[in-house]
Amino acid sequence: MQSKLSDIDLIEQILAGNQQAYADLVKRHQRFVFTLALRFSKNREDAEEIAQDCFIKAYRALASYGGQSKFSTWLYTIVYNTAMTFLRKKRVATDSIDDEATFIQVENNESAYDAHNVENKSRSFYLNRAIAQLLPDDATIITLFYKGEQSLEEIAQTLGMEANTVKVKLFRARQRLKDKLERNLKHEVKELI
Amino acid sequence: MNTIEEQLWNYIDGNCTPAGQDAIARLIEQDEAYSKKYQELLQLNLEFASMELDEPSMAFTYNVMETIRTENARQPLKAAIDKRIIMGIAVFFVFTILALLVYTFANTHSQLSAFDIKVKIPAAIKLPNAANIFTRQAFKWFIMFDVVLALFLSDSYLRRKKPTKHA
Repeated sequence: MQSKLSDIDLIEQILAGNQQAYADLVKRHQRFVFTLALRFSKNREDAEEIAQDCFIKAYRALASYGGQSKFSTWLYTIVYNTAMTFLRKKRVATDSIDDEATFIQVENNESAYDAHNVENKSRSFYLNRAIAQLLPDDATIITLFYKGEQSLEEIAQTLGMEANTVKVKLFRARQRLKDKLERNLKHEVKELI
Repeated sequence: MNTIEEQLWNYIDGNCTPAGQDAIARLIEQDEAYSKKYQELLQLNLEFASMELDEPSMAFTYNVMETIRTENARQPLKAAIDKRIIMGIAVFFVFTILALLVYTFANTHSQLSAFDIKVKIPAAIKLPNAANIFTRQAFKWFIMFDVVLALFLSDSYLRRKKPTKHA
């Protein structure tokens, strides 16, 4: 069955002239590539444009993929570079939403993370909102680590950093995400009360 | 020195040394602060791992494949044609012309004087004497002209090729 073929098998078929195999490869990775693009662009239209651009670039450069690393790692490197170029071009404000006036700061910062207080909205909604409030780099590292099945070394390769730097960045990104999550939930609780 | 949180994250991710892993496991068992923080981070870790990926539009794959197909179709004919075919045709013509030239040159001496083919032409028409026109001297000039032309053309071809190689 076609869907059971590995990325490498599909790439071999594409290089042999089977263009349809690339559609299978796109289907396999499109959700993750789109999510990564969304971490940078913060809007769906731009994210779709970036993701599409990435797959076209990957197709053009497929012959140069040597198989030294996982295809996903190679693809995510293209996504990261394309998204960075996009940000530079569009000059999207990459500052955290921390500085925005719309965000309500809750005074008490000490209480533990407790999602059970808010029952009418799903946890994934809050998580996605908190991730969207992170800096693109933080959101990318978190996404690559938890959803990209990437090791610290592979993330380092994708982002062009040292593995130790990624480890430190991941730790800080988790802390920031936790803070955002707590603040959002507290804000929600405050509104409910 | 790592903070408690940093140590616990390393423990959860499995990035500690075996000795470090044992030490933190013992701390979690014995120290209530460690245990509480560990439970909190474990819960967060599960939460982060449950994050859902976003879905692009339904036509995403189709759009990508269409763009690729359009790009391939737009490829100029010059790039699409196999250069080996062009080279093959060129080699064929060059060899044919060369063979013809060599054959003609080899037979010129004996045939130049043999322009006395008997053809019945009306007496009113006077043909020029071919032997006077296609003299050995004229033929040599013709070959000379061809050689100069070939040298000139190959020179301009190589000049064109050089900058493209450097580019």
